[in-house]
Amino acid sequence: MWRLTLAQMRRSLGRLTAAGLAIVIGTAFVAATLIAGGVITRTSYDAVSASYADADLVATSEGGLTAADLATLRDTPGVEALDGRRSLRVELVSGPQRAVPEVAAVASDPRLEAQELVSGAFPTAVGEVAVPGPMAERLGVGVGDPLTASRQVWTPDAAQDPATGTDPEEPAGTWTNVPEELTVVGLLSDPAGAFAESGGAVLVVADDADRWAAQDATGSVVGSSGDVATATFTRAVIALTDGADVGQVTAALEATAPEGTTIRTKDDEAAAKVSELTNGSDILTTIVLGFAAIALLVAALVISNTFQVLIAQRTRALALLRCVGADKRQLRRSVLQEAGLLGLASSALGLALGVGLAQVTLSVLGRMNSGVPLPPTVSITSAVVLAPLVVGTLVTVMAALAPARAATKVAPLAALRPADAPTLAHRRSLPRLVLAVLLTVVGAALLGLAVVVGQSSDAFLALGIGVLGGILSFVGVLVGAVFWVPRVVGAAGRLLATRSMAAKLAAANTVRNPRRTAATSAALLIGVTLVAMMSTGAASTRTTLDGALDDQFPVDVAISRDAPAVAADGTTSDPVTPALVATVADVPGVIETVALRDLFVQLEFGGATEWTDAFAIDPAAAGAVLRAPSMMAGLDDSTAVLSSGIAERLGISAGDRVTLTPELVGPDGVTAATGEPVELTAVLTDLPGGVAFTPGALARTGADLPTNQVWARLADSNDASTVVPAIEDALSETAVQIAGAAVERAMFQRIIDTLLAVVVGLLGVAVVIALIGVANTLSLSVLERRRESATLRAIGLSRRQLRAMLAIEGMLIAGVGAVIGAVLGTLYGWAGVATLVGSMGEVRLDVPWGQLGLVVLVALVAGLLASVIPGRAAARTSPVAALAVD
Amino acid sequence: MDRTVQPAESPAAAPRQAVARPKLSLPADPRSAATPPAARARALSKVYGTGEATVRALDAVDIDFAAGAFTAIMGPSGSGKSTLMHLLAGLDTASSGQAFLGATEITGLDDGALTRLRRDRVGFVFQQFNLLPMFTAEQNILLPLELAGLPREARARAAAKAASREWFDTLVATLGLADRLTHRPAELSGGQQQRVAIARALIAKPDVVFADEPTGNLDSRSGAEVLSFLRRSVRELGRTVIMVTHDPAAAAYADRVVLLADGAIAGDISEPTPESVLAGLDALRSLDGSVLDTAAAR
Repeated sequence: MWRLTLAQMRRSLGRLTAAGLAIVIGTAFVAATLIAGGVITRTSYDAVSASYADADLVATSEGGLTAADLATLRDTPGVEALDGRRSLRVELVSGPQRAVPEVAAVASDPRLEAQELVSGAFPTAVGEVAVPGPMAERLGVGVGDPLTASRQVWTPDAAQDPATGTDPEEPAGTWTNVPEELTVVGLLSDPAGAFAESGGAVLVVADDADRWAAQDATGSVVGSSGDVATATFTRAVIALTDGADVGQVTAALEATAPEGTTIRTKDDEAAAKVSELTNGSDILTTIVLGFAAIALLVAALVISNTFQVLIAQRTRALALLRCVGADKRQLRRSVLQEAGLLGLASSALGLALGVGLAQVTLSVLGRMNSGVPLPPTVSITSAVVLAPLVVGTLVTVMAALAPARAATKVAPLAALRPADAPTLAHRRSLPRLVLAVLLTVVGAALLGLAVVVGQSSDAFLALGIGVLGGILSFVGVLVGAVFWVPRVVGAAGRLLATRSMAAKLAAANTVRNPRRTAATSAALLIGVTLVAMMSTGAASTRTTLDGALDDQFPVDVAISRDAPAVAADGTTSDPVTPALVATVADVPGVIETVALRDLFVQLEFGGATEWTDAFAIDPAAAGAVLRAPSMMAGLDDSTAVLSSGIAERLGISAGDRVTLTPELVGPDGVTAATGEPVELTAVLTDLPGGVAFTPGALARTGADLPTNQVWARLADSNDASTVVPAIEDALSETAVQIAGAAVERAMFQRIIDTLLAVVVGLLGVAVVIALIGVANTLSLSVLERRRESATLRAIGLSRRQLRAMLAIEGMLIAGVGAVIGAVLGTLYGWAGVATLVGSMGEVRLDVPWGQLGLVVLVALVAGLLASVIPGRAAARTSPVAALAVD
Repeated sequence: MDRTVQPAESPAAAPRQAVARPKLSLPADPRSAATPPAARARALSKVYGTGEATVRALDAVDIDFAAGAFTAIMGPSGSGKSTLMHLLAGLDTASSGQAFLGATEITGLDDGALTRLRRDRVGFVFQQFNLLPMFTAEQNILLPLELAGLPREARARAAAKAASREWFDTLVATLGLADRLTHRPAELSGGQQQRVAIARALIAKPDVVFADEPTGNLDSRSGAEVLSFLRRSVRELGRTVIMVTHDPAAAAYADRVVLLADGAIAGDISEPTPESVLAGLDALRSLDGSVLDTAAAR
């Protein structure tokens, strides 16, 4: 049977290649993902073990190891050297430059030193420091230069005696800045990336490190006395004497070490630490593998389709085999062998492609010098090799199961019949229909339930129900695709058919083999639905969050400044100068600005008082700049707008007279100015918090309060991610605080956009595979219909019309798949948003028309491109040659 | 092979009768003399392959096919009869010589012009019927008209529609397809399919209908039916039919039988009967000893 299988494969090589491409891409995806996961794990492993240098053993302790503990351990026979390690940071200052590196003590043994000396020497005395090369460059220092360590030292109040401690919960005392002058004696490099995570570590002698650690420990630990002994180490690295038995020394160390101390070899310790760390990267790998699985599922549809067609085309040959004595099992085996070979070959190629891609990426990243030490070459583990090969081959063979069964159904008699074009098989099984409807309905019901649950209670429960419902209904949709996709394609075709004969032919062609059309469209449907779901979900989430932000933060951007502005001639003025307002107004994307006073007022009503934040703002200007102008409705010189929260707390109703006393608190926390009380009529609006009144009302209090805030409104809140940084840039020389909805929005937008880009990129692989499927289906159709095309050519179809027919066919299949996918994806996206964000507030559904349009457009163009090669082949064939074909 | 066209020289060939038509009650046919031939070949050759493998499928053939006549082309397998038909129909390109459809020289036309020519002036009937499976009988019949499209101008469009509708009804009535119009090919018998194919070939009122073994896939009764329809389309509807066949009985339905052997005209029989055709074929066989293709089609 193998000879026959190979012979048949040779004959169908072109067709198999196209199908294999789908598997190649899918397995390359899997291989690259696994390698990337491996690189991440390995990088963290290296980074972890790098800080242990060449230590033989590592001791870790939950409770921390004291200097005394270390001394005891150091005395254990077989221990050559032992150094404590702790996490300690120091702020280094050189002129205007600052850095906050980790601090490590110079190792007592070269084997325990993680960093290398580039120039100068290791510190040998107190006040000497060795700095990583890049950090020294940033600080602008070299060997021999001074460097200041800015130390915060806790001084307990003399009145408080730690022993009698009146209030041990809140030890009284002050932090004072005690600068220490250091001298740079050496420059370091960190080739293994031991401190890559923390941005580098400086080396000092143990005395300095211990003292700083003790200073840090004092005060933060209640009742501690600044004793060096209280500053503990988290771990110790140990170098053994030559010839010492690791097992014996470990046992001896464990015997003397305090409770809760673990002694492991360096490799074991690294492995243990990595397993703690890799949870994150494993989840990442799992998620990406999930996308790879989707890509493989789509590939399976493409493969299955291709084999169906191959079997249909080989009906005669198969029947002939049956005539000469092949039994059903042999035919079935032959098909599965073919699939297995194809799968194996494609997976091997995919593996090579994936490894190659990963290697190229590593080389590029390595050259970019990202600071993270990456392995120069990918490490090929057995999992990286086996998983893609096994998965790719299995997927191919499974996809060929149904076609293999079809092969066994070929009757021997078929060999004797004239070979007609594959007939229009209208096999519509009722169970399939029932299953499809059932799955869709149940899934949709679950989705609805998830939305309801999501509004009220547990988001996780809702998510679980929603995911289940989504999967069920989507499987239902796919199972039922054979029933409705051809109809939709046919209907779309009929719409076009009035235009031209080519369109009419194309429309008729797409419905002649419903199963194949459905499978081809479905392959595309999967990818497009997911892409559309993600886009819609992202857009709706963004709109919903925007809505929530609009309510919470009525102001797009609020820029506040405390320090008075100092002009060139030394005169001071209000913190917010007209020039500053103009600068903000000039930033592209800002359409409205208003300067105002942000202050505190004491609000008094019916004997009750409350301190609250207040704004003195011009009502007209406020209306223009606020997203919800209704918040300032009714504001004039005789009124004060109150938020409902305050009104409720003080029992104020609209129209009540309230008394306000303004107060300005300076940057040092001292009240800078106060005014006389003023009585105003309360107006209640949907102001989210505080009180607003007019500058006129403020003037009546007599308080001389500076203008200290600018509110800005953006032309389009969706531009927040570009406009907010632009405002920051424009005001980079002024100390201001920038807050507001746009800032939050910009952050959300960045997160959502990044996630969306990544997810869509990953799903894009599935879409590409599906488009290969469209091209494959078209070229197979062309081959099948050679004689038919020849007939059409003979009776007057021009080459152009023939090509147009195939182009329209491709665009119909791809376009319908994409449009249905976009619609389904939008629905799923809405359901997802309603489920997840529902509890956060009113859900606002949005349709990302631009993105959906782009997806459909890409599908249409791809459908068109997919028809180019088959179309050329069909048009080139002379009608006579094609008519001669049996 | 250096055989030149000497159709009447073979001694055993059936006596070449003058093209006189003392038959039926048709009006005396003036076309045979006055109108130009519907299709013509002049020194038409088709060569396949090069060097040693060269095959002269058609070797400098000169022949005229009268308009308004039913001509059968016969010959053994490989005699070039299909090649001749393909060249005359503009389906294939000649190696040398000229082919004319009416007054139009089709050798040398580009693909676009040939396509239009086939669409507007030529009809085809195939052995395998070659109907489009996804279209109904009616849609199949109207296909050539749809391919041509309708005039843009509204009145001309309406007129063209009405004219073609009338012609369609005539064809459907003549071919007895009225109750089969909504069926798809898969739901039709072979004979019915071939009748649909004939209607499709005639719908555009082509100058010539080429039929390639139209009865090859039919039982004898359906075959006879199809042949009578082809003859009626010539005699009653005034069409021109050129049919390639290997079946002497089928050829006998024609007004004239042209015999081909080794790419050259080997005989010409007017008013054929099955017997006279057989005799002509026998003569051919005795001439060069080739085995005639009298077996079943495939």
